[in-house]
Amino acid sequence: MIEVEHLTKRYGPVTAVQDVSFQVHKGEILGFLGPNGAGKTTTMRVLTGYMPATDGRVVVAGHDVFEQPVEAKRRIGYLPETPPLYPDMTVREYLQFVAKIKGVPSGDRKSRVEQVMVRTWVADMAGRACGKLSKGYRQRVGLAQALIHNPDVLILDEPTAGLDPKQIIETRRLIKELAGDHTIILSTHILPEVSQTCDRVVIINKGRVVAVDTPHNLMGRLRGAETMFVQVDGARASEAAAALAKVPGVVRVAPADNAATGAFEVESEKGRDVRRELAKAVVLGGHDLLELRPTRVSLEDIFLSLTTEEQPEEAAS
Amino acid sequence: MNNVLAIAHKELRSYFASPIAYIVIGFFALLFGWFYIGILDWFVRQGMQMGPMGMGQSNMNVNQQMVRPLLLNMTVVFLFLLPLITMRTYAEEKRSGTIELLLTSPLTDVEIVAGKFLGAMGLYAAMLAVSLLHFGLLFAFGTPEWKPLVTAYLGLLLFGGCFISVGLFISSLTKNQIVAGAATFGVFLLLWVIDWIGQGMGPRAEAVLKYLSMTEHLDDFVKGVIDTKHLVYYLSFITFGLFLTVKSVDSERWRG
Ligand SMILES: Nc1ncnc2c1ncn2[C@@H]1O[C@H](COP(=O)(O)OP(=O)(O)O)[C@@H](O)[C@H]1O
Ligand SMILES: [Mg+2]
Repeated sequence: MIEVEHLTKRYGPVTAVQDVSFQVHKGEILGFLGPNGAGKTTTMRVLTGYMPATDGRVVVAGHDVFEQPVEAKRRIGYLPETPPLYPDMTVREYLQFVAKIKGVPSGDRKSRVEQVMVRTWVADMAGRACGKLSKGYRQRVGLAQALIHNPDVLILDEPTAGLDPKQIIETRRLIKELAGDHTIILSTHILPEVSQTCDRVVIINKGRVVAVDTPHNLMGRLRGAETMFVQVDGARASEAAAALAKVPGVVRVAPADNAATGAFEVESEKGRDVRRELAKAVVLGGHDLLELRPTRVSLEDIFLSLTTEEQPEEAAS
Repeated sequence: MNNVLAIAHKELRSYFASPIAYIVIGFFALLFGWFYIGILDWFVRQGMQMGPMGMGQSNMNVNQQMVRPLLLNMTVVFLFLLPLITMRTYAEEKRSGTIELLLTSPLTDVEIVAGKFLGAMGLYAAMLAVSLLHFGLLFAFGTPEWKPLVTAYLGLLLFGGCFISVGLFISSLTKNQIVAGAATFGVFLLLWVIDWIGQGMGPRAEAVLKYLSMTEHLDDFVKGVIDTKHLVYYLSFITFGLFLTVKSVDSERWRG
């Protein structure tokens, strides 16, 4: 449903996003996880056609966002980081305006607006000026705005930021309900959010994708955080891998990315040094050990900079 | 077209939801009323002086001697009021982030710019409409020609359209509506005096700057003449202003 290929975005000399590629399948919820400044908002702005990429391609619901912007935008609902509300319009007027510019046929507009207001729990504020809403309500009107034209794809930039715990739970439940009919990308810098809401996670740091996996696997990788890079002579690589996996304390053995056959990433239980055992296993198995070194624990570093606590933000305004 | 109207309607709403529309229309009504009474007073006294001298009322032309100077004088007021209309059009959307809604909706840049232009023109037309009430009084008490009045208002709409297209462009360059307003006023002033600058610069430069001057083209309209030369000038000016605005919005996307 969404294909992002080699996306790069530079702001003048600053490279905000570099060579990002991923896909989102129909009906899936993809979490976009990364610390502040990682490039989440930038990626989403490119995906929604708000700004063009410096390089790369984005296809949403079969339409290239740069080649056929209007067609692509018809199929996208977008909640920016700050909900784009007009302070002097009432919630109902605002949603009617959005419905109009998003191309909802005039006959359906009224009922669509009422429907969406109920769905996002803002119906009781329908007559209130958007400028006079609390942070929680603003966020929900922002969500209502994104849903108004029943788009195939929803792109939500930190949808729970600034909400109180009860609102966070409600919003996550709503997002889960919406999946299936809609394909959803949501960004967050809160670790538990992805495990509770998302089917798959893209972890982004300093503008680069560092991991794409299910929340379950990612959590596993976080716990078994010690990672070694092991390279053996390529001849009987799979045998060597099996030998490595048998070493006590080893959690996972996977072929290393972008490396020759015979190169593996070996994850072991946290705090357990298995280097000697790994070396022994390789040599006793009759393989030639070419390299053995701890890899940068990049994933862990990133997780450390993520918010792991379920605390509402300092509620601004 | 529906999209353009949706944006225009939104713009008009927001003018009338804020003090801007009332300030602009109020000031205009006040100043116009002031000029109107002054010139009416003068006109009536002139008429009375001429009367006894046997020249008769017939030589006094309401259109030429009253409407024309009045409207030409009023254009000064636009220098101050039109920046108020255009300054927030883009700047405020950029500041508040609502520009993200517009630019991610299935609209083209041209539709957005055209909608904003129409909205601003709507407020400007509402402002001009106030002056129509005064002229209506003239019809009640005299027999002015209505044709020059119609062409005069057409001229004023085009004239204001030029300023508004420039104002939109300037507003699209900044996030700060005050900066946009001040810069717009400065540029309007420059356009206003551009033919004065030319004086003493030799006949060629004088002719060129005179051609560029916006007031220069208004006079024929107010006299009741629609000259294609002037029409072309105004329409190409407006088109160019709107074109610059579209380009500016587009390049803003690249800059982010
Ligand atoms: N308009 C901009 N101009 C210049 N640099 C920007 C702009 N927007 C974002 N950046 C930079 O790009 C990087 C990524 O920012 P952003 O996409 O907002 O990250 P996130 O949403 O993950 O917090 C940051 O280093 C930020 O400073
Ligand atoms: Mg962000």
